[in-house]
Amino acid sequence: MAVATTASSGPVDLLINVGKNQSTKTLLRVIILCFIAGAAIASRLFSVIRFESIIHEFDPWFNFRATKYLVANGFYDFWDWFDDRTWHPLGRVTGGTLYPGLMVTSGVIYHLLRALTVPVDIRNICVLLAPACSGLTAFATYLLTNEMTTSSSAGLLAAAFMGIAPGYISRSVAGSYDNEAIAIFLLVFTFYLWIKALKLGSVLWGALCALFYGYMVASWGGYAFITCLVPLHAFVLICMGRFSMRLYVSYTTWYALGTLASMQIPFVGFLPVRTSEHMPALGIFGFLQLVAFLEYVRSAIPSRQFQTFLYVALGGIFGLSLLGLVGLTAGGYIAPWSGRFYSLWDTGYAKIHIPIIASVSEHQPTAWPAFFFDLNMLIWLFPAGVYLCFQKLEDEHVFIIVYALFGSYFAGVMVRLMLTLTPVVCVAAAIAVSQLLDTYLVARSPEVPDTEEEASDGHAKKASKQGGLRASSQPVVGIYNVVGKGFIAGAMVLYLLIFVQHCTWVTSNAYSSPSVVLASRMPDGSQHIIDDYREAYQWLRQNTREDAKIMSWWDYGYQIGGMADRPTLVDNNTWNNTHIATVGKAMASREEVSYPIMRQHEVDYVLVVFGGLLGYSGDDINKFLWMVRIAEGIWPDEVKERDYFTPRGEYRVDSEASETMKNSLMYKMSYYNYGSLFPPGQAQDRVRGARLPEQGPVLNTLEEAYTSENWIIRIYKVKDLDNVGRDHASAASFEKGHKKKKASKKRGPRVLRVD
Amino acid sequence: MRSLLSVLVFLFIAVVQAVSSSGDRLLVILEDDAEKAGYSKFLGDLESRGFEITYETPKSESLSLFHLGERSYDHVLLLPTKSKGLGPNLTPNILLDFINANGNILLTLSSSTPAPTSIVSLLLELDIHLPPDRQGLVVDHFNYDTSSASETHDVLLLPSPGPLRPGLKDFFSPVSEDGNLLAFPHGMGQTLGQGALLSPILRAPATAYSYNPKEQSEVVDDLFAAGQQLSLVSTMQARNSARFTVVGSAEMLSDQWFDAKVKKLGEKSAVKTLNRAFAKQVSGWTFKEIGVLRVNWVEHHLNEEGMSNASNPKIYRIKNDVKYSISLSEYSWDKYIPFEVPESDALQLEFSMLSPFHRLQLTPQISSSDSTYSVAFTLPDQHGIFNFKVNYKRPFFSNIEEKHTVSVRHFAHDEWPRSFVISGAWPWMAGIGATVTGWLAFCAIWLYSAPSAAKKNQ
Amino acid sequence: MRFLYSLTPSLLLLAAGAAQAASSWGFADATVSVNSKKGAGTGSKEKFSVKAPLSQPVVLGTTDSLKILLTAQEDGKDKRPHQAFVVLQEPTTGLEAPFPLTVKESGKATVEIKQSELPVQLAASTAPLKASIVLASFGSSEGLNTPIFDVEIKTDPTASPVVYEKPLRYGKQEEIHHIFRDDPKSPPKVISLAFVLAVVATVPALFVGWLALGANVSHLSKALSDAPLAHGVFFGSIIAMEGVFFMYYVSWNLFQTLPVAGIVGTATFLSGAKALGEVQSRRLAGER
Repeated sequence: MAVATTASSGPVDLLINVGKNQSTKTLLRVIILCFIAGAAIASRLFSVIRFESIIHEFDPWFNFRATKYLVANGFYDFWDWFDDRTWHPLGRVTGGTLYPGLMVTSGVIYHLLRALTVPVDIRNICVLLAPACSGLTAFATYLLTNEMTTSSSAGLLAAAFMGIAPGYISRSVAGSYDNEAIAIFLLVFTFYLWIKALKLGSVLWGALCALFYGYMVASWGGYAFITCLVPLHAFVLICMGRFSMRLYVSYTTWYALGTLASMQIPFVGFLPVRTSEHMPALGIFGFLQLVAFLEYVRSAIPSRQFQTFLYVALGGIFGLSLLGLVGLTAGGYIAPWSGRFYSLWDTGYAKIHIPIIASVSEHQPTAWPAFFFDLNMLIWLFPAGVYLCFQKLEDEHVFIIVYALFGSYFAGVMVRLMLTLTPVVCVAAAIAVSQLLDTYLVARSPEVPDTEEEASDGHAKKASKQGGLRASSQPVVGIYNVVGKGFIAGAMVLYLLIFVQHCTWVTSNAYSSPSVVLASRMPDGSQHIIDDYREAYQWLRQNTREDAKIMSWWDYGYQIGGMADRPTLVDNNTWNNTHIATVGKAMASREEVSYPIMRQHEVDYVLVVFGGLLGYSGDDINKFLWMVRIAEGIWPDEVKERDYFTPRGEYRVDSEASETMKNSLMYKMSYYNYGSLFPPGQAQDRVRGARLPEQGPVLNTLEEAYTSENWIIRIYKVKDLDNVGRDHASAASFEKGHKKKKASKKRGPRVLRVD
Repeated sequence: MRSLLSVLVFLFIAVVQAVSSSGDRLLVILEDDAEKAGYSKFLGDLESRGFEITYETPKSESLSLFHLGERSYDHVLLLPTKSKGLGPNLTPNILLDFINANGNILLTLSSSTPAPTSIVSLLLELDIHLPPDRQGLVVDHFNYDTSSASETHDVLLLPSPGPLRPGLKDFFSPVSEDGNLLAFPHGMGQTLGQGALLSPILRAPATAYSYNPKEQSEVVDDLFAAGQQLSLVSTMQARNSARFTVVGSAEMLSDQWFDAKVKKLGEKSAVKTLNRAFAKQVSGWTFKEIGVLRVNWVEHHLNEEGMSNASNPKIYRIKNDVKYSISLSEYSWDKYIPFEVPESDALQLEFSMLSPFHRLQLTPQISSSDSTYSVAFTLPDQHGIFNFKVNYKRPFFSNIEEKHTVSVRHFAHDEWPRSFVISGAWPWMAGIGATVTGWLAFCAIWLYSAPSAAKKNQ
Repeated sequence: MRFLYSLTPSLLLLAAGAAQAASSWGFADATVSVNSKKGAGTGSKEKFSVKAPLSQPVVLGTTDSLKILLTAQEDGKDKRPHQAFVVLQEPTTGLEAPFPLTVKESGKATVEIKQSELPVQLAASTAPLKASIVLASFGSSEGLNTPIFDVEIKTDPTASPVVYEKPLRYGKQEEIHHIFRDDPKSPPKVISLAFVLAVVATVPALFVGWLALGANVSHLSKALSDAPLAHGVFFGSIIAMEGVFFMYYVSWNLFQTLPVAGIVGTATFLSGAKALGEVQSRRLAGER
């Protein structure tokens, strides 16, 4: 693999250095980078080879649908897109509530290829965009690392790391058509441009940085990371007494142009001047002006006392503006920190206050093995790299340190933010590795012959053995020793090989599943594809009216919209908590409560995911408590989480389950008719390992419309009101042949009929 | 030529045979064919109105309401039968399926024969209740026919019912010069549940009550119902507008009472009954000859100047002015006539998403051939998927539920007022102008400025 | 309801006329009493007759029951009628609820009505209910239908009140008109104009400032003679770029603007290299 090539780039460089041929070096570098890009792309194609060229997961389906809309209707229609097929009946102002960067990029590529008369399907562009961008990310990492160190091998190493680090691959395999696909490239490249601008104090580079920052804002909500990190870097520099005109020029250029660019995105709009998350950037902008002014004054007025006075004034103004900020926030002119932001500081916050955020698995705090899983050896090289940055501590190294600090923290708080940590880990680790290799391979011994020996030996093990023997007779010890060099180089090579091995394994086993299609192994080891999702979505597409509204939990909203092309009530764009809670309430309540809700929302079909037959644990019963919690947030009187547990506090689905649980629509839909698959009384839920009650649930207001092959997806049709005005329960009992003999006595006093 | 012929044939049929709006196949179920004679006038009237009548007994092998899943008949008239059940061809499920398949049923009861169990079950499903033991007799000691039932008081004489409540069209009050009394002989009353689909046509007078002649001949220990709560002729119009009518007294439709002269208690002279005209109204309503509404067309369009005002667009913008029109006809015995909303009632349009944002009265424009109801209004300032909904459900009129879905989108990026229209934006625009001027001037000076004299001196 | 109202007086007339008929129904020894559950028989017995209905309403508490005793008579002789009802009527809606009396062969009739037995509409009534007696039977005797007293329903304030939900009846509904949000407002035009003036005034102020510092364009001819094309195109393209922005503001869309901006930008870039080089040469020559 290409990484192997890179790993040996140290010695290769050494050879080149001996040759001292600059152009050969450049050529080699280009070739190596191309290989790295190739490796990055190739390792992301597992999913296409294993499965097919298909869009993965959930969010990508929306992006794909939006891209198709963009390609079909043009840019301005996309910009003003009112989507009446999601969030029924509210609709979604989609054009104004998305980050258009990804779709526009794909659209541009599509039209470009069309103009070049390359007939290509938009789906293939979408599937392959993420791998293509990963190649660019590797290149951007190379550039960024080169700004940090003089060692030319560090950049190549960083590029190679970035290309295959699982932490980044997890979000950028082929088919993972998500904002992060291009956003990470933009993130790294923007940082590179920022460092470049800061180093040169150049308006041009600052403007370029702002341009790519704007692109980043257009692509991913994570742009706030840049918005906070760059001012933080600037602030740290000022505090270190490193204020310079370079900093002033680059920061002000970036801030002014970047903010203007970001405000062009409708979804962002006036947020940069209205919300607390953006205030650091604005504050530092103002602070820089002050500092610059004071610097100017200081240069003009020599008096020491005046200077101290100025510093006091500076602090005073800073404090005053901070107070003003607090005042404005209290007055409601500036939005306070959003709940999403609080959840970054207090990991328990979301669970209490915003269950909808906490319900997403990727918003959970990271488990420690995940760091090793996603970054392997980089995670222990990372501190070494940061330490090396401390040693040099130029302006750009401060940036890496600040980035490393915050990146690590956020990655620890949220699994998802591992993604933002990965670039800095790659850069720092590459610095460490290259430092190590350079130290051990390039360092010249005091005696010339040793070095020559070293150069010819390379890192071959045999040679090192031989050298080891010889070294014992040499007077020179320590790092000049061939044994030492050989050992370190060998170990490093081994680590790198293991790293490649690990990355490949993780990519192929953990991150290449489209999650739309499930794979399992047959007893003979062959792969068996479980395709229930697509089967059910196809059924919906072919057997329901085009405007049939589908109610499901929000996880499946994008997929239904994308694959089944049917309107949904809620989807993964969780902009309206109440609407989601309404669906949660309908799912969690008794039929008599749910039915009016479904009627009101004009629901035609209800879709549930049930893994009980197959042992598929990501099903709706396991997500059910989140539905209950979210509904409880809005209707605390009607839905209570406690009622869904047994008196002993267990969450059960068998005959011990609480009455509320058994009567909930979700339970009924999941287990309706399930017993018919088994001998009487033997029905078994394989996910929860529970034996189900003999008497299955009864559904009156819904009728089963479709159940997929492995029962993963179950679709129910909502019955119309009874034609002759009965309630559904009595209509159903009449259908079954229970004839009323006498009018059923109702409780309570007699009611006279009034006409 | 052929088409012309068929048109002629069609016209011929239309002229000669006035026919119900929902088909002319009528099935009459009776105990045996001989009973036909007793209802000859009523059945003759039906035939003359264009119904093709098939007679069957409940036990008949050939009796089947459905053929290959389709209705074999459009209407069913059930005359009293003696048997306890109605056999396997007229189970409550089949009868209910018949209603669900938009078939109409006119059911007659009698105090002399207990109602079949099948019918009792069906009625219970519809929330219509019969007296216990399937038997009951309505008597009124204050309003009876002195000439025929001076002792038993079981021939009730009632004025024509009038509208059920204000704002409803009065279908069941025939006018006759001879008299204005309906005879309700030997009938079984019903009580109705609370449902909105049920409506009584004829209710018992305040002093009337129902008792079981077999068990309660001496004393009424357990009263089934009395007064206004006791319905003598009641109807159920299903959601699909299928109609079901219960006439408590089959004799009411018989020849005997069509021509009978009756004398009310306390009156001097005998008068002719209104039964024949009433029977026509009730059967005509049940078999959808009257009170059937039809939506001819629905149209909505943008009502703004200088915009494309195409019909029925799929999408509007918030705060658009729109106009909605609906054309309605009412079937009256043999043809559709323009529909006029009864006085003090209104046809209303709802513009709704989850709940109505607008509920507006549609104003009529009625000509001799067409009645169009329309309203112009401004769409709410909330985007979403809305319905133009005309939900006109009234007792005795067939249901109209017209739902037309449109999306109401937000302002597009170029539909907002331009900044020069907004006076608050002027300073900002002036700022842009000043910056541009300053920038150009700065460029010029930076490019072409010669050093000033003062500088030279330095 | 109308029908009912029209009927009631005629019934009363009938009842009145019954007195003159050959035979008619009546009653005697009629009493009414209210018994409460706790202290039985606290209510006093009150007598009434056809001619003398009670003038004071009878008060019926939540747990109380109303007991009526009477002897039915046909033409003054004790006899059992077939129909012997106490009818309670809600006066505002006209709804009626009949309660049959238990009549013995001797004509002695009794009925006990608990408040909980009343239909909801009657129990929830605020106006006093009208009670009347109907006595009638087969044959030629005239029936009797006469009001006897009023019943006032007293509800226990501690008990949960009887709620009567109106059943759904199809009919005209209340009109609804959407209430629109207010349009965004601009500040008074005077203030806007004042600010416009203030902003515009900065331009002359800037110019005056520059002039005071000795700004001029006297090298224009020199620059134009040294690099006429480059300078012309450079400065022209800067102005043209503002024009492009203006056109974007007025009418163009993005796809019209971008190519033109690209062309103008390229011109700026290419000519700028030359023009700025010339400016630099002047600077190096100390002429700036």
